[in-house]
Amino acid sequence: MATQVVDHSALKVNQAGIVLTVLVAFIGSAFYRPLLVLIPLLAVVLLLGTFAPRLALFKQLYFKVLKPRGVVKPRPVQDNPVPHNFAQGLGGVFLAVATVFLLPLPVVGLALALIVAVLAFVNFAFGYCLGCQIYFQLAKAGVIRAS
Amino acid sequence: MSTYLWALAVVGIVVLAAACLEFFRARRARARSIGAVAAASSEPYILYFTGDGCTVCRTHQEPALAKLGDVRVDKVDAIAERALADRFHVYTLPTTVVMSREGAALHVNYGYAPTPKLERQLAEARGTLQVAATA
Repeated sequence: MATQVVDHSALKVNQAGIVLTVLVAFIGSAFYRPLLVLIPLLAVVLLLGTFAPRLALFKQLYFKVLKPRGVVKPRPVQDNPVPHNFAQGLGGVFLAVATVFLLPLPVVGLALALIVAVLAFVNFAFGYCLGCQIYFQLAKAGVIRAS
Repeated sequence: MSTYLWALAVVGIVVLAAACLEFFRARRARARSIGAVAAASSEPYILYFTGDGCTVCRTHQEPALAKLGDVRVDKVDAIAERALADRFHVYTLPTTVVMSREGAALHVNYGYAPTPKLERQLAEARGTLQVAATA
């Protein structure tokens, strides 16, 4: 198994960031519609963070601000970061699709964004990572090669 | 505003549907796995399916298994040992299977199984064996 040390606090901050951003976009846009722009921005942040971890905004917030100041304590765990990255990328793709629907079919766009937030919350609160389970299923089926 | 309420309703329906799907999927997989065979042992033991990306395995399941004490736990990489994983219909990680002395699956837990649940299942496995032995 290709495990290394993964700081789970960084993952939690990332999940909390996703939940908060979608909630602000969802609730805020009911009163101030331009806040919907947070959804495509979040999609960009997640997709960039997937392919270039240095650009993962929430993780960088954790590593550069929250961790050094002791706001969030590190929680290193022997883990494989690839499935977590895959899950993040999946969230980014869902948000990108949500963005496409936001103007022509806002119900679909908002629902897709909320589903991403719900899954991020489930991961944050209960440690259940649906994206990681999908990664496992794909690896088991031989669609992707487990690293 | 109705757009927002509809969006919430859609999410509620999706979450409910996913929960129902998971319930029936686990039930069907469990029904198919009970009785599946692996290696025999002198005592009931646990087959523990895990994998690279399974965080819950490391943070919850492994500490729970460690608390069982002197119980044999066979750790299986569900991707490397795909044939064995398929035999027990492992569709999620972690999956724990309580095996009888003869090597037959008695209980299958899809997802995290806490220590008391595993202890109960192991005790049942031992009890079942005693009843079978005295019958």
